[in-house]
Amino acid sequence: MSNLRFSSVTKIFGHDTSKYVALDQVNFEAENGQLVVVIGPSGSGKTTFLTIAGGLQSPTSGNVTISGNNMTSLAKKEQTKLRLNKIGFVLQSYNLVPFLTVKEQFELVTKVKKNNLSDQSLYQLLDDLDIRSLVNKYPNELSGGQKQRVAIARALFTDPEYILADEPTAALDTERSMAVMSLLKDLAHKHDKMIIVVTHDMRLKELADKVYQIIDGKMSVYEG
Amino acid sequence: MFLAIKEMKHEKLRYGLIVALILLVSYLLIILTGLSTGLANLNKAAINEWGAKTIILDKDSQGRLAQSYLSAQTLQTTKGSKISQYNSLVTSTGDLKENAQIIALSKQSFIYRNLKATTGKKFTSKNTALVADKFKKDGFKIGSKIKIANSNVELRIVGFTPRATLSVAPVIYTSFETIKPLNNGVVNAVVTSEKHQFQDAPSNGLVLSINQFINKLPGYSAQKLTFNFMIGFLYIIIFIVISIFLYILTTQKLPNFGVLKAQGVPTTYLVMNTLAQSFIMSVIGVFLAIVFGLLTSWFLPSEVPIVISTMNIVLTSVGIIIMSLLGSLIPIRQIAQVDPYKIIGG
Ligand SMILES: Nc1ncnc2c1ncn2[C@@H]1O[C@H](COP(=O)(O)OP(=O)(O)O)[C@@H](O)[C@H]1O
Ligand SMILES: [Mg+2]
Repeated sequence: MSNLRFSSVTKIFGHDTSKYVALDQVNFEAENGQLVVVIGPSGSGKTTFLTIAGGLQSPTSGNVTISGNNMTSLAKKEQTKLRLNKIGFVLQSYNLVPFLTVKEQFELVTKVKKNNLSDQSLYQLLDDLDIRSLVNKYPNELSGGQKQRVAIARALFTDPEYILADEPTAALDTERSMAVMSLLKDLAHKHDKMIIVVTHDMRLKELADKVYQIIDGKMSVYEG
Repeated sequence: MFLAIKEMKHEKLRYGLIVALILLVSYLLIILTGLSTGLANLNKAAINEWGAKTIILDKDSQGRLAQSYLSAQTLQTTKGSKISQYNSLVTSTGDLKENAQIIALSKQSFIYRNLKATTGKKFTSKNTALVADKFKKDGFKIGSKIKIANSNVELRIVGFTPRATLSVAPVIYTSFETIKPLNNGVVNAVVTSEKHQFQDAPSNGLVLSINQFINKLPGYSAQKLTFNFMIGFLYIIIFIVISIFLYILTTQKLPNFGVLKAQGVPTTYLVMNTLAQSFIMSVIGVFLAIVFGLLTSWFLPSEVPIVISTMNIVLTSVGIIIMSLLGSLIPIRQIAQVDPYKIIGG
């Protein structure tokens, strides 16, 4: 059973007078098979948390381990490999390459990574996200919500073990948000994935297995 | 390659413009290189036909054939083929007129042996001449009489020889006795087919390798330098054009590259992609430039001395492609340095 664990992780931006503590002694844990939602207002440190979880930046102090392996001690190349093979990122913006059609966004992935979803599973995924009819469109021909759903499909296409999503439902209406969340929940439960969603949207906590709350860089288990 | 090609297909206008710029500069390069070679040939082609290694001139000649008068003493101590040179306007019946370089040789010399007659034969007796192809183009024929201006000397053409130009004038090869009335039997230089050893250089002689001699031809080096300067400048322009355009295009794509990196796409993949783009663009640009260059040389009147040789084409193409690959170094640095977090965190 693999897990992701933050122990006393602190992230400080700037130094001396302009010091800013974005994450303050954060403890966090998620396991495969779980959909974990981190809720917090804008500027609370959600994106910082997620990028540290994905190895895009390192903490100022504290430890991040993935299945017991210290993340920060990995070489740059291995972090890249880890992201390619094990992590699916859904980011707030620039998820899609502007000059590739939806279909080509997936094709690009196959150029750098061999074992991805089968065509059949991909089409199933596209149907689940209701974007199958968009495969020949370019990102600038899509609505914000459509783009977001394509980005989710793009992240799931590599069949990652961990999915890290930053406000994945920001551009979606309630119905679509819930559809996306139940898709993610299904993935967690049926395919034993670890899914971490950070959001300011309180509604998303309904479907989560575990909810954290982050305020001013301080993380705690949410108790509604 | 996938990203490179998809992007260029999607952004035809942008990349088309860069290709057009590469095309224009490459075209200019090919034409200039062609002209440079062509003009150089007009200056020296005849010398190349001689098959000579070394030339011995008078010490005070500054390497100029026309200013070199070898003394009897120098001649005695020098082995090789003597040549005399006389520059004059020549005329023929009708309006035919030509400024020519008359070179006198012995029939026993290696130069005489190395010369080829494409039509007719080489000169044999007094007052016969083997002349440059150029005369034929201009209407002279075998058997035509040519008169040397301001003299009574009259020659009969017995053959034509290719690539016979010296200092931008067609050459007339004839015997020493023919031009004796013109130059009083002065010998201007001795040419050898072997590398001349310096220890047996005659005391009043100036020994030059043929390349040194060519570089001292009037105006030759200055012209070469001017062309090389322009050509060098165009290579720099290609480099800058590619650098600037790719820099701007890459800057625009940087957020996407950052996210791709976050998603685990290796930096080398993105870098190869940018290299591929500059390679593809320069190959297309160069190819079109070569086609246009060849068409131009085809349609230009034959007076324009442009020589687009395979060698020139290969060197120019390689030069341009290398320049455009170098031009993508700055964008590559941008890509290598973009921090995915900076884009996502922003
Ligand atoms: N690179 C950075 N340099 C300085 N401050 C930063 C940087 N990244 C984030 N911050 C600050 O850290 C805080 C948390 O940011 P972020 O994690 O993006 O919040 P959220 O995603 O919850 O809106 C913000 O106040 C932000 O200004
Ligand atoms: Mg954020």
